[in-house]
Parts: sequence; C-alpha cells; structure tokens
Amino acid sequence: MNFPQTPSNVTQQFANENDSVSFYSGLKAVFIRNFKILWQYKLTIIVGFINTLIAASLFYYIALLVPQNTIEQDGYIVSSISFIFAGAMLVDISTKILMKSMNSFTSEMRQGTFETLSCLPFGLKRYFLSEITFEVIYGLLISIVKYIPVFLIFPLFIGFNISWSSLLTILLLLICVLIFFFSLSLLAANFTILVKRGREISMVVVGLIHLLSGSLFPLDLFPEWLRVIAYFSPMTIAVRACRLCLFGNGAITSAIVWIAIIALLVSSALIIVLFNFTYKKIYNRIREKGTVHEF
Amino acid sequence: MISTFKSSDKNSNSISRIYAIAAARVKMSLSYKSSYLITLFLNLVTITMYFFFSKLNPDMEIFGISASYFEFVFIGLALQFIVGTSLATVNGSIYNEIISGTWSSLLLHFNFAEYAIGTTLAGTFLASFSIFISLGVSYAFFGFSLSVSGIQIALICLLFLLILLSHMVISMLFAAFTIFYQKNSGIVPLLYQLTKTFSGIVFPIALLSGFPTVLSRTIPLTYGLEALHNVILSENIQWEVIQRNCLVLIGFIFCIGVLSFFFVSKSIKHSKKHNKVDWY
Repeated sequence: MNFPQTPSNVTQQFANENDSVSFYSGLKAVFIRNFKILWQYKLTIIVGFINTLIAASLFYYIALLVPQNTIEQDGYIVSSISFIFAGAMLVDISTKILMKSMNSFTSEMRQGTFETLSCLPFGLKRYFLSEITFEVIYGLLISIVKYIPVFLIFPLFIGFNISWSSLLTILLLLICVLIFFFSLSLLAANFTILVKRGREISMVVVGLIHLLSGSLFPLDLFPEWLRVIAYFSPMTIAVRACRLCLFGNGAITSAIVWIAIIALLVSSALIIVLFNFTYKKIYNRIREKGTVHEF
Repeated sequence: MISTFKSSDKNSNSISRIYAIAAARVKMSLSYKSSYLITLFLNLVTITMYFFFSKLNPDMEIFGISASYFEFVFIGLALQFIVGTSLATVNGSIYNEIISGTWSSLLLHFNFAEYAIGTTLAGTFLASFSIFISLGVSYAFFGFSLSVSGIQIALICLLFLLILLSHMVISMLFAAFTIFYQKNSGIVPLLYQLTKTFSGIVFPIALLSGFPTVLSRTIPLTYGLEALHNVILSENIQWEVIQRNCLVLIGFIFCIGVLSFFFVSKSIKHSKKHNKVDWY
C-alpha cells in the first residue's frame, strides 16, 4: 500500500477509493451492520407498528369529517377515506425513506463514528450510496409490513376495482417515486455533512411535501399562486397521478401520469447531477476545515 | 467545595432556583436557533394544512359545535404545540443531562420538583411563540377571528395551567424510568401520538366509538380540550362541564404527581446508591 505524504494526497487517495473492497462487498457490509443495529432496537419496530396504526386512525377520522364522505378530483368521485389514505400513505412511506437516511447520518455524526466511515478507503460517496440503498429497501419493506394491520382494520379501499394497466402504472410510478427519494436523500446527505443538520433539513422538506402534495385535500382548494408553487414539487403530481390510477382508471397514456413519470425522472437526474457537482467540493471543504464529525 | 455550593444554595429560594433553571433552558434552546425556527415553521405548515382542509367545509353543527372547522382545529393545534413540549420536556431534559454528565451537578443544587417546573416553564414559554405567530398568520391571512371576554380569558388560563401540569406530571413519571435505567423508554413519542389522535384535536371525539372512546377518556387533554371548546366556542358556557373536567384534571395531576414523585425519589436513591448518577 502506498502511504500518502501530504494532506491533498490523503484526500486524493480517499476520493479515488484506492485499496478499497468492491462496492458489492461494502454494500453487503452496510446491510449486515444495519440489520444488526436494527435488531438491537426491537422495541422501536413494535412501537413503529402502533404509531402507524394511530396515524392511520387520525387520517380515518379526519376523512369522516368531509361532507357526504366523498371527494371529487380529475373527473372521478371517490370516498374521502380512500382519497386521503391513498395520498397520505404515499407521502408517508416515501418521506420516511428521506427521514431515515438523514437520521442515520446524523446519528453517525452524533456518535462520532462518521469520521471513521468517511475516511475508510471504501469512500464516503460509496458509503452514501450503500446506506441510502439500505434505507430505501428497508423503509419500503417495513412500511408495507406496518400498513398490513391498517388495511385489515380500516375499510380503506372497499368496493373499488382496478384494471391491470392501472395497477402496472402505479407500480411504475412507485419505482419513479423511490428513485426520486433515493436521489433526494443523496443530495440531502451532501448538505448534512456540510451544515450538520440532517434532521432539520429532512423535517422541512417532509413538512413542505406533506402540505404541497395535497395529501388531505384536492389541490383545487389551493389559490392559483400556491397551486403553481405546489407543482414545482414532483411529489404533488405523483400523488395526483397515483390517485388517478387508483380511482379514475388512469394509465400510462393519461397526461397526468406520464407528466408525473417524466417530472420524477427528470428531477431525479438533475438532483444526481447536483449531488455529483457539489460532493467533491463539500467533501474537500469538511476535510480542510476539520469538521467531519462536528455536531 | 460541596459545602460552598450548599451554602450558596441556602441564600436562594425555590422561585429563584426555578427561574434560574427556566432562564438557562431558554438560553440553551435559543442557542439552537435553526432547530427552534424550524419547529416554528413546521407548526405554521400544520396550521396551513388544516386551513386548506377546512375549505372542504366539514359540518361541525352535527357534533354540537357552533363554530367553523378551522376555529375548532386551531384551538386543538395550539394546545398540541404546548402539550407536546410539556410532555417531552422533563423526561427529555433529564435524559440529555445524563448523557452530558451534568445531571449529578444539577441534583446537588436543585431538587427534582424545581427542575421539572423550571424546564416545563421554559419549554412552554418558547412553544407559546408558535401559538402567537400562528394566531397572527391566521388573523392576517386565513380570516380567523375569535373574540373572548374577561371571564373566558380567566377560564382559558385556568384550563391551560391544568393541562400543562397534567402533562408535566406524566413526563415526570417517565423521567423516573430514565433516571433508573439511564436510557429513554421511547414511550413518550407514542403517548404524544395517542394524544394527537384521540383527544379531539383535529376531529370531535363524538366521531369515536368502542375502544377508541375508552382510550380517549384516559387522556387528560381530552378533558382539557372539551372544556376549552366549551369556553371558547359555545354561546353559553356550560359550567357543569367545565367544573367536572377541571376536577378530573386536578385528580389526574394529584394521582400521577404523587406516583411520579415516589418513583423519581426511588430512582434517584437507586442511582446514588449504585454510584451511577450521570454514568452513561
């Protein structure tokens, strides 16, 4: 192994990921480590089930307040319970991925383990990719499992039919949403190591997404100027497209759906470019300033 | 050195010590400006979200509430900001003191009750800004208008105090666990989630039936909020409802308060005996 002689050599060596294990081995190591950590917090998983059930109850009772218990949007009329659950669940599951990713980086910084991880020959960028991949997969699976009791208890989607084309379109939309949150988590990770405020960044983003996506109400209730702002968030149109597929027989040919898919993919690509552009600058800056694990 | 500290403590009374704790907590919280501002921002986002939901015109008359949905939900959300703080403050602060290694020093200068009151007052003071800013925004942009008389203000203050104390004693009870085991139980966020859902903050509890009704009646905020809605939103104040709910809250504060003091003193004795006051 060649030992670096100057600080810039050190940075270069880590940035080039010399003498590192393969990405697959590193990814596997991150998955095994995270599962072991999660197993230590079994109670948290049980509490998560109860929390999901309580949050679902809140949405259920709010939906009962809507006059005639129906909501109209994009030419379809649907039960307010189904309408609110479809939006709130999609936003909840996807934003939890972002929250989990940011919380994991913040915890590493708080516990002082982030410096070690960032200085491993594996490389910080590949660590970000591995960690966020884990959070996306784990977040998705655990959310689905946590929502099973909710589906069994509440009459969410009773008496509605969905065609195969709509179902496949929803799956495609979900994949696009996951890609969007994967890239958003990467960019947020970049800014977390710079400003050391991962939890706060994710809370603001999640709060705005919840408000602007219209998870509780149709977007027609927004004034015109706010509706324009809302469509700058790809999640707004994604929620609308998902609802259209679920309740209005929307498919890939529907304008709202393909606009949502393009918006999600284009914004994901832009975010990844921005991540790549800012990553090296931020990495060098925190190393030069010696603020790798300052909190 | 210990006797010096003790003699200096004798010169102060409980009120000045509570004030010292509250002032220190406020200063400390304000040093995390970004966190504080983000909390304010998120509270405003919550209010805004329910403002737009209220445009669906939920009919509150069928639940016997002669007010608009936004007026109804605003009172609940404003209280939610305060209740969340008073529920989390004592337990959370002690947990942080234990981690930071400052808990032993605090025990030397202050007693537990002073610490609990001081930290809760500081949390409430800071959280109250959320209410005033939300109120300002709602008056300016959401067409919210509510006028209250002198007697209503007095009743609001009384109920506010009872709600605050009832959640402070719950936090104190969980603090006993934290002091004993030197870790957070994780139950407080769950309790907060239960309170948010089943106490009638965003929907009237008349919608509940079966087990959720029983659950809602075990939460102190249900009684506080019911009385507050009665004071602020009803044309005629129903004194028997307010009297009954106040008595329930006082009984709750007394029972949980006694229990929490008992368990906290046991926990402190245990941690002192095993020499792990702020060991983590």
